[in-house]
Amino acid sequence: MARVEFDDVSKVFADGTRAVDKLDLQITDGEFMVLVGPSGCGKTTALRMVAGLEDISDGVVRIGERVVNDLTPKRRDIAMVFQSYALYPHLSVRDNIAFPLKIAKVPKAEIGRRVDEAARILDLEPYLKRKPRALSGGQRQRVAMGRAIVRQPAVFLMDEPLSNLDAKLRVQMRADIKKIQSKLGVTSIYVTHDQVEAMTMGDRVAVMRKGELQQVAPPQELYDRPVNLFVAGFIGSPAMNMLEARVERAGGGVAVVLGDARLELSDHPWLAPYDGQAIVLGIRPEDMEDAAIAGDDVGPRLRGRVELREALGADVLVHFAVAARPAVTEDVRELAEDVGDDRLRSQDAAAATLVGRFSPRTRVVEGDTVEVSVDRNALHFFDPQTGLAIRAR
Amino acid sequence: MLPYLPLLIVFGVAPSIYALDLAFTNVGGGWVGFHNFVRTYNDFRFLSAFRHVLVYTCVWLGALIVFVVGLALLLHGRANRVSATFRFLFYMPGALAGSAAVLVWLFMLDPSVSPGSFLLHHVLGADIFAQSIAPGNLPFIFAMIAFWTGAGGWIVVMYGALNTIPHDLEEAARIDGAGPITIALRLKLPLMRKWIAYMVILSFATGTQLFVEPQIVQTASFGLVPDTWSANQLAYQLAFRYADFNGAAAIAVDLLMIGLVGAVLIVTRSGLFRTDD
Amino acid sequence: MRLRVVGLGVRLTVLAMFAVFFIAPVVWLVLAPTKSDKALITSSPFSFGDFHHVALAWKHLDAFSSHIFRRWIGNTLFYAVSATAITLVAGVPAGYGLAIGRFPGRKLVLSLTLVVMIVPGAALVLPIFLELNAVHLIGSSLSVILPFAFFPFGVYLAYLYYATALPPSLLDAARVDGCGELQTFLRVALPLAKPIVALVFFFSFVADWNNFFLPYVVLADSNQYPITVGLWDLLSSTPSFNPAVGGGGQSVKIFKPELALATLIAVVPVAIVFLFSQRALVRGLVGGAVKE
Repeated sequence: MARVEFDDVSKVFADGTRAVDKLDLQITDGEFMVLVGPSGCGKTTALRMVAGLEDISDGVVRIGERVVNDLTPKRRDIAMVFQSYALYPHLSVRDNIAFPLKIAKVPKAEIGRRVDEAARILDLEPYLKRKPRALSGGQRQRVAMGRAIVRQPAVFLMDEPLSNLDAKLRVQMRADIKKIQSKLGVTSIYVTHDQVEAMTMGDRVAVMRKGELQQVAPPQELYDRPVNLFVAGFIGSPAMNMLEARVERAGGGVAVVLGDARLELSDHPWLAPYDGQAIVLGIRPEDMEDAAIAGDDVGPRLRGRVELREALGADVLVHFAVAARPAVTEDVRELAEDVGDDRLRSQDAAAATLVGRFSPRTRVVEGDTVEVSVDRNALHFFDPQTGLAIRAR
Repeated sequence: MLPYLPLLIVFGVAPSIYALDLAFTNVGGGWVGFHNFVRTYNDFRFLSAFRHVLVYTCVWLGALIVFVVGLALLLHGRANRVSATFRFLFYMPGALAGSAAVLVWLFMLDPSVSPGSFLLHHVLGADIFAQSIAPGNLPFIFAMIAFWTGAGGWIVVMYGALNTIPHDLEEAARIDGAGPITIALRLKLPLMRKWIAYMVILSFATGTQLFVEPQIVQTASFGLVPDTWSANQLAYQLAFRYADFNGAAAIAVDLLMIGLVGAVLIVTRSGLFRTDD
Repeated sequence: MRLRVVGLGVRLTVLAMFAVFFIAPVVWLVLAPTKSDKALITSSPFSFGDFHHVALAWKHLDAFSSHIFRRWIGNTLFYAVSATAITLVAGVPAGYGLAIGRFPGRKLVLSLTLVVMIVPGAALVLPIFLELNAVHLIGSSLSVILPFAFFPFGVYLAYLYYATALPPSLLDAARVDGCGELQTFLRVALPLAKPIVALVFFFSFVADWNNFFLPYVVLADSNQYPITVGLWDLLSSTPSFNPAVGGGGQSVKIFKPELALATLIAVVPVAIVFLFSQRALVRGLVGGAVKE
């Protein structure tokens, strides 16, 4: 058991790419830390620096109290699960799991006992004699887990261990890994590009972008209080709606004007300095509701035209266009491209399409005009220049 | 890494450099420029040896291109087991490379024992062994031996190259209305081009180095075949019979250059070999 | 429909004709030692004689020059096995190093390896002879084994395997699991390369076994000959192809059946390696271990 510490860690590749830039991150003993971000954000590089598979260009990585910068992987007391599983194809399942113990020259009887225990935890007992190629994807994944836990290392490192599984299995393994980790209480660093995995598994989640750490927080805080546009857009699905808006002083409070709509806010004092300026307004889909069923007559309203209705069962996603400009900052565009969403490429900025998560009782269908009520206490504001959230410090 | 480097240097690089050194110096080690090259070029056996080798190489190359490509195309698209059987049969003689193959063909060319004596009679007009290996036939005979031992390997290679063509592509062509011949000529052949080029260059370089076949046939030829039939034989004779190491080196360098040019051409141009990631 | 049947017939006929061309000499060679020198001429080329003649031919062959035929086979085995062993010990790690190592000169070594690999072996024989002659190694078995042991094709095969087929994550996993660099190679990279080792073994062994030119040039004593050169020696001693041999060849008793038997014995080991290695190649060892 140990804590892991990145102290001002950078990684510059031979071609000059700065993969990780001055990363400062403390992972406490027993914590499940998730590194999340779009591809190329440096999360895997950061993990591999802990593993000793990547040299550290600058800064210090500590495992426990030890500086491990110059230690070989062998001497770091870590175990790693790879995205490809990296099972040794020439060894049976039993020998794969036993491999690190054999290398460490653990006595034979002890190896047998520990492999059996790992196999029991992971339900691998019937497959111990098989070769990896005779296993299904989920079984291979569990063998890879087995090889990691059998060592009883100080730290688990996991590099997108579920990304090669199909959706259903992924949900199940997600829970299994989390359970095993909390039972063993081993400090874990888990890398993923999937924000759902990050949210469901992490005790805390570190969001990275272009080698820079954006925010570290427990999942809910990340969701509720994103520090910048990037985090706000990255966490949550469907993503937060982002609109260009203008701040106006109104009576005792302020109002946010977007297109022809005006959201009166009575108590947002930290918006006051932005009087007369443009900001980015963020609204989570679930913070909107069809006004016809919201039963809220006083809240601010948006009016839009329904373009698409997606019934999910428990709720309905309604895509509707409002007369406001979508916020197209660099962050937003990059995020959209990362998830393969090309809607923002269109230069038609006169109308923005929002997604609302409505109650299934809503009656709106495509083509309707819908009145949408907005939870004004759940709005997010961002400075369009810095991308930072505007809120009480 | 460590044990390999000395081998590479001692038997890959050093011999070439040493041969170069010998080729440009005389017995006493003095620099003589191209003298050895001119001297060997003017040797009365030089031109005929190179002419022999050239004819042989051309015949062999022609046979390789036509038959290897043709047979690979014929095999491709056969039922798997049929094609595997044929490939194995074609490949078998590869086990008899070198002197064993030449010996087998000495028998095959001897009308008194050959199962193909009627062919020898009708095609070569030969009724006794000495007629079979008449000088005019030799380039063709050597080409046939080389084809017999080596073609199977190339057929396997070409067949492998054909198998990398996605099945979809062939089906798409068929839906587009292409018959088997059109598919072979328009689709498969262009995709094999690289490998054919590789085969041609490599075989050309190898062909010019001919030594074993004429050397052995010469032994059994009642003196009909000169012991300097091929270029390599000439170099060998210069070194062994006349102890003219500088002259031998000059011819060896001539041949090495042909091989080297071929090799560099293949490595840099074909894209078949990885030299980096 | 009829056109297709005709087409199929033509294709199969062409294939069958070539199959006969490739295989008939082999069949003839297998049958020849079962007949007497006279029967070879008189009976049908593909008839089977009897085993008695095989035994007789072997007796004559074995008696030739006081059992020198056995020596030739032994020499060839010795040269080919020891050279192939050195090839594997030197070549496979070299290919591994070239594929995953990052060191200065790597590209140069790789390019040199490729060029030497493609330059026909015969082009280097005389230069190697001249070099060995200069250091007075001519006539020793090392003058055959060491040049044989330098087998750039094997290095390239290993390099290609490690650079393309071996997932880097496997090596990473081994390192994380506690292996040093040497252990990573011995415990993971080497066992995985078994098909490649078999392949290199195959090509190297066959090339060494069949090589004629180099031993012909660098060895002088017929006791040191490998079988390829031995066959040539036999050929020059048989009156069947060489009437100049004294006494009608009665003293050496090497005629066509003996020669055919010698040829057959000379290729058997290669043929065995041929069949044996083919199976090893088919097993795709890496398949299934790493999901792409």
